[in-house]
Amino acid sequence: MAAIELDGVTKRFGDVTAVTDLDLTVPEGEVFGFLGPNGAGKSTTINMLLDFVRPTAGEVRVLGLDAGRESVAVRRRTGVLPEGYDVYHRLTGRKHVEFAMRSKEVDGDPDAVLERVGIADAADRKAGGYSKGMRQRLVLGMALVGEPDLLILDEPSSGLDPGGAREMREIVREEADRGTTVFFSSHVLGQVEAVCDRVGIMREGELVAEDSIEGLRDAVEGGETLVVTVDAASEDDLGAVRALDGVTNAATDGGTVTITCDPDAKTAVIGALEEAGVTVKDFQTEETSLEDLFLAYTEGQEVSV
Amino acid sequence: MTWTAVARKDFEDAIRSRWVAGLSILFVLLVSAAAYLVRPAPGQTISSNQVLNSLFVRDALVTTLVPLIALIVAYNAVVGERESGSLKLLLSLPHSRADVVFGKVAGRAGAIAAPIGVGFLLPALILLLVPAVNFDAGSYLGYTLLTAILGVVFVSIAVGFSTAASSSRRAVAGAVGIYFLFVPLWGAVRFPLQLYLSGGGPSWLPLTGQQVLRMLRLINPTGSFKIVSNAFLQGALFTQGDVNMQVSASLMLLVWILVPPLLGLLWFQEADL
Repeated sequence: MAAIELDGVTKRFGDVTAVTDLDLTVPEGEVFGFLGPNGAGKSTTINMLLDFVRPTAGEVRVLGLDAGRESVAVRRRTGVLPEGYDVYHRLTGRKHVEFAMRSKEVDGDPDAVLERVGIADAADRKAGGYSKGMRQRLVLGMALVGEPDLLILDEPSSGLDPGGAREMREIVREEADRGTTVFFSSHVLGQVEAVCDRVGIMREGELVAEDSIEGLRDAVEGGETLVVTVDAASEDDLGAVRALDGVTNAATDGGTVTITCDPDAKTAVIGALEEAGVTVKDFQTEETSLEDLFLAYTEGQEVSV
Repeated sequence: MTWTAVARKDFEDAIRSRWVAGLSILFVLLVSAAAYLVRPAPGQTISSNQVLNSLFVRDALVTTLVPLIALIVAYNAVVGERESGSLKLLLSLPHSRADVVFGKVAGRAGAIAAPIGVGFLLPALILLLVPAVNFDAGSYLGYTLLTAILGVVFVSIAVGFSTAASSSRRAVAGAVGIYFLFVPLWGAVRFPLQLYLSGGGPSWLPLTGQQVLRMLRLINPTGSFKIVSNAFLQGALFTQGDVNMQVSASLMLLVWILVPPLLGLLWFQEADL
């Protein structure tokens, strides 16, 4: 059974379309990284999984249940780290975890939860005095209460220092090993690369790529990035370059032109630039990284992988 | 049904607010002052019921101040969480939106009942010690409870507004509007109306003037409260006097507790967070 199933889902806020005709399936037990720049529709999608907002069209199913009509049953089995939340400033960390336990109707030791997320020493302090990173840990702890079947984490690493982000990934791994499906969003590829089975990349409300990390790696393997220093280049000069076989992407800031292409296409690229009247001063090649590919997807250049 | 978890969390949160501590002190001072002002003349004795049913306690303190304070305690209950983002944390947990609204009503009801309880019971110690006052413990506790119920009515109205309001400014506007409608304005309109209607009222109205006035008294929760509390302090509740009116007034208070949160919930069910 699929843990998450979105079928033709569209969400409009007035005139603004946040998510357009989204189809996405995440099987049980998978760690799925939901990527994209801010404003791409990631949080709106997550908010529809939790029934915070209702889809304008399409069907959303979570853990085999209707995300709208059966939302309480969904959330009973789901741990959530939402985006844009606030904690209860006058209540201590322990009170927060106790509240999560009572809400999920489970028994447990709040201190053990706080220990696991690394804020046991702050258990008796009011959460209003917590740093952003401590709040993230606290809410992650609340999400872990009751051994959920699904974890939905919206930008879990935001506010965490590198050490905290690593601990977050370790917890995600432990939960995945327990069989939990993990669905988490990020606008930074580096945070998901190490833990995800599969990623989906959102841009402007649409899913522009969906693949395993290996699949994405294969797609960029052998690809090279050619950085050409020129006297002056404009978007118009790049048309001929983009039309070449083996070129996946080309961009310029005026003084340099950056092209993602097969190694064989390099000579043709330089030739096409000079033919367009651009003087090539220097060039060098770099191997394309996954990060380059991610940026290509998310920064609006057309790519054909 | 996890509204009890929401209520407990909300009570624990609200009770730690400086408002609640401040209000408890205010109530203690005001009820003590009222007890002093209504003190018996030398050589006479009065009942503690007379203190409670005095203009000072009943009209100035209870029906004027309690509604205001209840509205202050509750206007931000839902919209405040919506604006800060803690509503997302709340609804990440397995609560229905109805659990949230009724949990909030219960939690804030506790948060208004606490200062009312403290405010009445501490001055009771003074009344107990004064030999010239016959302290009627049953009536005193009952009246404290009735006052708390009046507080809960206004908490419910404020939570209803807070649930449906898109911003806390609107929730404040709603609360202030309700207060002015039911507290100063109602009385101001009722008096001239009473003069006009006591003549029999307009002939097109299918009701007599008296019936209109009775309805007006009932609709306003502070009016219903006075009907119930007067009868209670005279030991006549549901047994003597205008029993129909007393029953209607009690039901009216119940309606005011249930309907505003339900209306807010109707809207909230459909809302995007």
